[in-house]
Amino acid sequence: MLEIRSLSKAFGGVKATDNVTLDFADGSLTAVIGPNGAGKSTFFNLITGALRPDSGQILLNGVDMAGRSPPEIVRYGIGRAFQVASIFPSLTVEETMLAAVCADQRRASVLHRRFPLAETRDRAEHAMELLGLAVKRNRIAATLSHGDQKLLDIALALVLDPKVLLLDEPTAGMGTEERWRMIDKVRELWEKQKITVVFIEHDMDIVFKIAPEIVVLCYGRILATGTPDAIRRNEAVIEAYLGTEHHAGAAI
Amino acid sequence: MTELQAEQGAPALDVPRTEAKPRRNRDVVIALAVFVVLALLPMVFSSKLLLDFVIRCAAYGLFATSLNLLVGYTGLTSFGHGMFFGLGAYGFGLMMQKTGVPIPVAFVATLAITFVVALVIGAICVRLKEIYFAFVTLAFQMLIHSTILSWVSLTGGDQGLRGGIPRPPFWGIDLSNHLHLYVASCALLVIGLFLMHQIAQSPFGYTLRMIRDNATRASFIGIDVWRAKLTIFVLAALFASTGGVIMALFVSGAYPEFAYWTISGEGIFINMLGGVTTFLGPMVGTVLLLILNDTVTRLTEYHGIVLGIVILFFAIGLRKGLMDFVVEWYARRRAGTGERS
Amino acid sequence: MDLDALTGCLASSACLVTQTTSGFIIGMLLFLVAVGLTLIFGVLKVVNFSHGAFYMFGAYFAMTAYQLTGSFALAMLCGATGTALLGLIFERVFMSRVYGSDVLMQLLVCYAFVLIFDDVVRMIWGPEFKSMGMPAAFQVAPLFIAGGVVPPYYLLLIGVALAAAVILGLGLARTRLGKVIRAAAHNPGMVSALGINTGLIYGGVFALGGMLAGLAGALAAPVRSLTPGMGFSVLIESFIVTVIGGMGSILGALIGALLIGMIRSFGSLGFPLFTEGLMYLFMVIVLVSRPTGLFGKEVA
Repeated sequence: MLEIRSLSKAFGGVKATDNVTLDFADGSLTAVIGPNGAGKSTFFNLITGALRPDSGQILLNGVDMAGRSPPEIVRYGIGRAFQVASIFPSLTVEETMLAAVCADQRRASVLHRRFPLAETRDRAEHAMELLGLAVKRNRIAATLSHGDQKLLDIALALVLDPKVLLLDEPTAGMGTEERWRMIDKVRELWEKQKITVVFIEHDMDIVFKIAPEIVVLCYGRILATGTPDAIRRNEAVIEAYLGTEHHAGAAI
Repeated sequence: MTELQAEQGAPALDVPRTEAKPRRNRDVVIALAVFVVLALLPMVFSSKLLLDFVIRCAAYGLFATSLNLLVGYTGLTSFGHGMFFGLGAYGFGLMMQKTGVPIPVAFVATLAITFVVALVIGAICVRLKEIYFAFVTLAFQMLIHSTILSWVSLTGGDQGLRGGIPRPPFWGIDLSNHLHLYVASCALLVIGLFLMHQIAQSPFGYTLRMIRDNATRASFIGIDVWRAKLTIFVLAALFASTGGVIMALFVSGAYPEFAYWTISGEGIFINMLGGVTTFLGPMVGTVLLLILNDTVTRLTEYHGIVLGIVILFFAIGLRKGLMDFVVEWYARRRAGTGERS
Repeated sequence: MDLDALTGCLASSACLVTQTTSGFIIGMLLFLVAVGLTLIFGVLKVVNFSHGAFYMFGAYFAMTAYQLTGSFALAMLCGATGTALLGLIFERVFMSRVYGSDVLMQLLVCYAFVLIFDDVVRMIWGPEFKSMGMPAAFQVAPLFIAGGVVPPYYLLLIGVALAAAVILGLGLARTRLGKVIRAAAHNPGMVSALGINTGLIYGGVFALGGMLAGLAGALAAPVRSLTPGMGFSVLIESFIVTVIGGMGSILGALIGALLIGMIRSFGSLGFPLFTEGLMYLFMVIVLVSRPTGLFGKEVA
């Protein structure tokens, strides 16, 4: 589904992404972890086109995404939710969804009809329901709680029917209770929609409980990939985390 | 606010936007009703002053509402929108003076000229970031103003277009008849507002709102931001130009002041007075400003001070326009939540 | 358009000198006004659309001081310090309230004050054109350089303006206060966290900008006629200068001002009615190719 081949990006002398080669299988759920500065966000930025890679390929079903513009990449089917929710503050939840579907259906420039278009309702409704936002459909986005805004952010990515969904720290800024609810939602989404999901996460408890596959990045390089058990036993990973994260130690 | 408060429905942050229900028929009925009321007004009040006031409201109202499409709905702060008002006045005036075409033809031709000019200027400016966009639109406006001033053979220079504007009757309408001019202005106003409202409530209108709120995300969703901005820039110019045409007919000429930056400044002030979060805010602002102007110039020769103090009151004190207050008061009465009907 | 007049002048050294000097003083006066504008923008991130009013008040204060005391030096002093004070009060009482708001709001506030100030001047001094007259010390024979006429007063003007430019440039670059001001432009939060009173800095910068514009007005008073609307054309031109030179750049203000001064001087020969049009054309070209101006930095 999504194949990364020798992806590299350097800023000045610093190799933010160093020769990364990875495969994300169709319908997989993968967590990308790593200490701060490991290059996780840069990795996402490269895939979504926010940054241009120095070298390497990003193959989505065989088509190379490297060097394309972000809107183009979105059209090909890579969706992204942001660490800080990037939404439209003055629109309601429902309006946001309807407008997004409208844009996806290439009807964003229609002048002679009234918003919302009837043909956009189903998809918008479906996305809202998936994220549990339907009951809050008339809330103005700016007034939503932080967690709901992140959900809206994900809904905004999801409503465009992506093949791959990248979630940049979906639980950022949340308390423990809320985190589990959010990640449960993510897992629920993944199971229902059967799309490929990759998410960046810092909370090791969550990662090891939820993700069937884990990728560990460190200094822009892949340190290890595999199942939670394999990662837990991986010496390099333990060494990278010892002293900074006690979770790995606790997990052992 | 905490999540708990949000769940329980805290009051809306910022200014809630009340969007009209997406029913075009309702708009048509309202438009017709308003037009009929306006058209019948002269029968009730035979004051020429009132008719003049409404005609001026039509000219400025179209201008200010079109400016709101740029500023309020898209987030495009243009300091030079007045150039299209001036272009409309001069274009129409010159065409009627120099060529013998019927008025409807001249009107359409004026719009066509405005279209081309707006397309060129917009294509150049729209990609610039906010404050630079504001500067360069102002620069273009003043450039046009200077051109009008210096091209004396064509425009009459600082004296303006002299000799009046010929008004051959068309379709039984004689625009040299003040009453006919009045009704025609009302018609243009109502049609113009209806069309602009349609634009605001169309899918394109929501695209504009998305661009205003978060242009980057809008682009990620697949919206061609540059093209959308250019489109609304040109459309807004057409309506501003129509306002200029009305003004030209009203004063039977065209003056360089119509293209001066103060027109743009007044447009912004009108939007501030009436409020940018409702569609009719600018219309309300227009009425307020014209009343203010007329009253102040009658009472004192120092209208600068009075006007200045009023502006300060709104800008620093109230920070919102009249319609914004109305909307908030209404919303608070209804629910007190972050909801919209 | 009168291109013959233009080419004719370029060919004659006398005319060349006269026009160049004229362009120089226009430019230096503009520089003093524009540098205040660009400083205020650089540090306070605010476009002071009422800046022309400081120029106007500088001229009127100077004229009145001269009429009362007969001393040119005192007149200059009054012009400069009066406007400095005005700038401080204006900033502390009004501008500080609109810092967070968007540029439309700032524009409106300044526009309001343009209206108010113009009327205040009209009330106090009357709407007619006034003049200060050339002080006796300068009523000497003009210098003839290469055949061109150069009034000595012009040389004083250029000298004072250049001195101000140098002091300002060095002051900002070398002194501690200058560093603090530049720091506040980059990161006001940090400067405030370091215990420095940013309010005072903002007020000070505004006072400085106002003072420079007032000084320009005072310097111009002997050679220009005074009228309540005089601030406005200066504002427009200094605005063009700052945009062309780059908001926040002192060097840009200098270069831009000289350019505009020359355009005005030579342009009014060849394009008597379109002189301002030339400036706007230039402004459009610069904005479109380099939105931040010739020497400007990217604004966050």
